[in-house]
Amino acid sequence: MTTTEPRADRFVRELAELKIPDPAAGRAALWLRLGGTLMVLALVLCVSAYLLAHSTTDPLEQRDAITLGLCGVGAGVVGGALFLRYSLTGFLRFWLARQSYDLDALAERLIDAQKGRG
Amino acid sequence: MSALLQLSGIRAAHEGITVLHGVDLSVAAGQVVALLGPNGAGKTTTLRVAAGVHPAASGRLLMGGRDVTGVGPQDLARAGVCLIPEGRGIFPNLSVRDNLLMMTFTGRSREEIEDVAFARFPILAQRASQAAGTLSGGEQQMLALARGLATDPAVLLLDELSMGLAPLVVANLYEQVAEIARQGVAVLVVEQFAAAVLGIADHAAVLVRGRIERQGRPDSGFRTDLSALYLGSPT
Repeated sequence: MTTTEPRADRFVRELAELKIPDPAAGRAALWLRLGGTLMVLALVLCVSAYLLAHSTTDPLEQRDAITLGLCGVGAGVVGGALFLRYSLTGFLRFWLARQSYDLDALAERLIDAQKGRG
Repeated sequence: MSALLQLSGIRAAHEGITVLHGVDLSVAAGQVVALLGPNGAGKTTTLRVAAGVHPAASGRLLMGGRDVTGVGPQDLARAGVCLIPEGRGIFPNLSVRDNLLMMTFTGRSREEIEDVAFARFPILAQRASQAAGTLSGGEQQMLALARGLATDPAVLLLDELSMGLAPLVVANLYEQVAEIARQGVAVLVVEQFAAAVLGIADHAAVLVRGRIERQGRPDSGFRTDLSALYLGSPT
């Protein structure tokens, strides 16, 4: 890493290039809520489609119900993916931090025990 | 040179309890700023806000003139902000060499990282194969600093460097910190024991109950006021 550019100048330049999301937006929470809403919507669409299909003998209306049902399935898939993406990320970050902390604590206990014996 | 790190009206809370009540502080490149104050004043929270680890409830965090409030610690770290936390943040079960090896994620080679670390802290070269947890407190702090330097920081945030160390070791460590700052790094040091850091600080601030009560050059007048700020003014 050989550069003649002073570190402070490089820092300012790199910060200027950094894509900073609007901190006020809280996008992760928004996507998570959207995912949950889509899953609920999917359920409503599918039940509506089922009821619509059974309330008529008109094939055209039943095709509408099929379309509605497929939209429900699509919304469910997209909603589920969004929900998993934005809920699992937080959980996995927490899990990783927990693992790291536990390993550190274990190592400290082992070293203390070894010092006690030695 | 304008401030590389600037906290402007920062307020922060822990579990709904406000611990910082509008902190204003700035650190320029090559400057050492000491943030002093009694236990529980909010010094560590200030550092954590500066590193992006703790969210600010209000106020602005500026780096290099750009508003980076709310930016994740990973992005700030990538840009050049390095936090060395209280308790050193090393891996005690790994050897000194492996602790340094883990810093290769920054894109620097193992040799380059070791060269910088061992040149600055020759004792670490002698302890290269030793488990970090078995080093003395001062050596562990040196390792923490060496790991920090491996990230090529532009802003270095140090939390309680002197914790649990002998005065001579602390003086040596702060000499190294001053040397790091002379290379153009902006250094913000949080310290409970004022005497340890005032010798190298260009600027100092005293935080009491989440408010900056006094800041300026750490001259004799500043030092005289310190005890009153730590203990409270006589009534």
